[in-house]
Amino acid sequence: MTRTSDDPRLELLQGTLDMLILRTLQWGPRHGHGIGQAIRRQSEELLRVETGSLYPALHRLVKRGWLKSEWGVSEANQKAKFYRLTPAGRAQLIREQDRWSQLVRAIGRIMNPAPAGEE
Amino acid sequence: MRPDDRDLEDEIRSALELSIQERIERGEDPQSARRAALEEFGSLQATRDAMHRVWYSRWSDAILMFFQEMRIGLRSLLRARGLAITVIVTLALGIGANAAIFSVVRSVLLRPLVNRDADRLLYIRQTAPGIGTENLTFSMPEIGDLESRVKSISAFGDFSTADLTMVGFGEEPRVVTAGVVNGSFFDVMGLRPVLGRLINSGDDGPTAPPVAVLTHRFWTTVLHSDPSVVGKVIRLGPGNATVVGVLEPSVPYPDDTQIIANVVTSPHHMSATMQKERWHRMTELFGRLAPGATLEGARAELKAVHASMVHEHPESYSPGARVGLDVKTLRDQIASPARTILLLLLAAATVVFVIACSNVANLILGRSVRRESELAVRAALGASRGALRRTLLAESLVLCVAGAALGLLLARPLVAVAARYAARFSVRALEARVDGSVLWLGAGLAVVAAVLLAYVPRLPSFDRSRDLSPAAGGVRITPGTNRRLKIFATTQIACSFLLLVGAGMLVATLNAMSTANTGYDMRQVLAVDVPPPAPGTGDETTVNLFQEATRRIGALPGVEGVASGMIVPWRDPLGSVLKVQFGFEGYQPANGEDNPACKFRPVSPRFFAVLGVPIVAGRDFTDQDRPDAELVVIVSQSVAQRLFRNGEAVNRHLWIDPRAGFEPGRRRIVGVVADVDDENVVQVPTMTVYIPWQQLGEPGRLFVRAAADPYALVPAVTRIVHEISANQAVERAATLEDVRTQVLTPQRLNAFVFSAFGGIALLIAVVGVAGVLAFSVGARTREFGIRLAVGCEPRELRASVLREGAVIAAAGILVGGLAGILLAWVASRLFGTAQMPGVLPIAGAAALLVAAAILASLLPAVRASRVDVIQALRSE
Repeated sequence: MTRTSDDPRLELLQGTLDMLILRTLQWGPRHGHGIGQAIRRQSEELLRVETGSLYPALHRLVKRGWLKSEWGVSEANQKAKFYRLTPAGRAQLIREQDRWSQLVRAIGRIMNPAPAGEE
Repeated sequence: MRPDDRDLEDEIRSALELSIQERIERGEDPQSARRAALEEFGSLQATRDAMHRVWYSRWSDAILMFFQEMRIGLRSLLRARGLAITVIVTLALGIGANAAIFSVVRSVLLRPLVNRDADRLLYIRQTAPGIGTENLTFSMPEIGDLESRVKSISAFGDFSTADLTMVGFGEEPRVVTAGVVNGSFFDVMGLRPVLGRLINSGDDGPTAPPVAVLTHRFWTTVLHSDPSVVGKVIRLGPGNATVVGVLEPSVPYPDDTQIIANVVTSPHHMSATMQKERWHRMTELFGRLAPGATLEGARAELKAVHASMVHEHPESYSPGARVGLDVKTLRDQIASPARTILLLLLAAATVVFVIACSNVANLILGRSVRRESELAVRAALGASRGALRRTLLAESLVLCVAGAALGLLLARPLVAVAARYAARFSVRALEARVDGSVLWLGAGLAVVAAVLLAYVPRLPSFDRSRDLSPAAGGVRITPGTNRRLKIFATTQIACSFLLLVGAGMLVATLNAMSTANTGYDMRQVLAVDVPPPAPGTGDETTVNLFQEATRRIGALPGVEGVASGMIVPWRDPLGSVLKVQFGFEGYQPANGEDNPACKFRPVSPRFFAVLGVPIVAGRDFTDQDRPDAELVVIVSQSVAQRLFRNGEAVNRHLWIDPRAGFEPGRRRIVGVVADVDDENVVQVPTMTVYIPWQQLGEPGRLFVRAAADPYALVPAVTRIVHEISANQAVERAATLEDVRTQVLTPQRLNAFVFSAFGGIALLIAVVGVAGVLAFSVGARTREFGIRLAVGCEPRELRASVLREGAVIAAAGILVGGLAGILLAWVASRLFGTAQMPGVLPIAGAAALLVAAAILASLLPAVRASRVDVIQALRSE
């Protein structure tokens, strides 16, 4: 799924952005830019979220009640909007994680059929 | 909490700043850091829009935007208060009138009846178009035939009206309109009691105890909803009856009855004539469709059964009368008399609405021309056509919604007036109320008006170089705008013309009716109802009562004469029913034709003298024309002229056609009197046969001729009658002139209502014409200035503006006239006939409109001639 041969970045699978956002917020609130950076860093620069997708996605999650946002001050003493998980968001994260591992397993079985009896 | 746009903007900006900061910390120089960050972020606008869309749907955006526009519109209208008020009041009149008329139309024509399964409740009617009778009613033998043979009707209910004297409930003796019904009537009608029980099959037959049911209206208005009425015994007609229940509120049909009783309460209903005689028709018939039957099926079967019945009894159905049968649902039957008048009213209200809208359109157009430069600037700054229209729409919506709100406030009192008015045509109008559907109508009309108005003004042309020229600060009127203004003004005049001609027609008719010579002495004759307790119960006591009362009233000071008869002209519906066929000595009906039918009027001696009807030949009746004396009659001039050679009728003989069921003996004509028509206010030649009531019929009405004020005699007359018989009702004393006035009330109301519509229309049209001309003059100040400067007489300028007004009026009248002709054509297609107005209403309406238009152009004309030349030339 690489764009060109010299660009190693991957495009996000449809619908996984929400899950990634929830996941990056697991350990505490972050601002939008921080979330984008976290995804990039943790994917070892393979995933890069476009600003045009990230911010609408954040608002979508707030609207669904999974995130809460409030204005705060960043480490560099700059004004920024911080997002944190709500209890409902936490529950959603667990659900998505389950679903994701099932999906990975299912696709894995098809792509790399293992000899019977071995799992 | 939805974030607003500023919040979203802030978020993106801060994110961008964070990103730049980070890059700088990583060692990039600020310039390239900013550039890189911006590149990475892509379109900030698109991002913000995407975030915005998460929270706001396109719809809510549009609505928010619109509220914004409305706020701006409201503010700008507050600066043009005069205009706004004019527009709102004009629209309120248009919408209020429509809402009121619509409420009445809805309750009369569209609302379902309270009767159970009203769709299956039928009204059956016998007609005789050959003798001009729309509703012949039925006789008991006819009803018996239908009942035994028709299968598609599960049950028949019959109903006949009788004016009965009622004594009871601690009230004065009074005449009540009573319905006499069979036991299945209420079941067929599908009505329930609110108190006690209704009349049922146990109350049929000659041995059942007499019982009565009160209608809800009578119970609430006269008896103040007294819950203890059930079980009370009242005197009803000649006997007593027990009140068994109170009927639920329902549409009273065919008559506004107060009491409904079973058959035994009316001796007449028990008589052999009523039970056996096929020609004795006085009963209305209702039916309920059998399960599975359809209206069409029932109609076909009823018609077939009726035809064979007519065939079996040729003696009771003269071929010339063409007796037939028709059936409708009761709902249609109740609504039909009101339909035409209500649709006319609705049309008038719509016309008023059109006038109101076009007037408002004019005002708005004038305003928008004045702000053309504002719109041009906005267009130049990039506002799209849609955005400009939206602004205009928001403004006109503010106006129209305000107008509709005021109109709906107006609707409540208007509905009350309109309902009382329409109640003369259909009792259902009394149920009319302002309700939710009217609100919807008002809102709908407001939106229609607003959209129309928003599309009236011309948008600035998008050739910006022209509209932004320095001269754009002033008012620049284009030929197109001027033409539009004039078209709207012409529309108003045309619509007003239509309404005024219609109103003029009705006023002319009313005038003709109320000034027509009736042949009676109108002012000095007092007519009083002194009815027998029930129709047909006149006996020796009645004769004594009338003879004694005539003698004693005649002796009162100020009384010039007293007589009695059976009906009061125009007021008694019986007048149109009392019509009998006569055979005349020496007159042979043409082949296949029946004996001629004449009105049949039992009267007392001196009747003609008291009512002022001249005796042309022979003599009056005298007290000697008793039952045991020679049978005599007096005929009207039409009878003498049409049926006797040379009009010589005196001393010839006539006899009542045996099929009428009266004593068929030969009667000698002793006199001829002038024709009078006691049925129609506008006289038509009528053949009438007068018979002394001592020989046939019974009296029930007293006529007193007074030297001075007739009403001063009422207490004395009442006292004398009560002294002779305490339980005798004495009611409805009125001079013949007042009777006529009362009979003409529907015409008077029609004329009044349409005149009111015409008046409103005229008023709005005058405002419209004045507005157009004022605007046109205002816009041509410079032109007038130049003309004055080059030596034009102010008088000429005045004349030219007046001419402009007159041309608008003339064009409007022409268009209105053409539309009227078209309407008349459509109406004649729809209804079969259309009454064309006379010359006078047309000329009158045209003159009124031209005068009004000239009046409306006076002020602008004077202004045109007083233009300050220097000021005008400097103005651009």
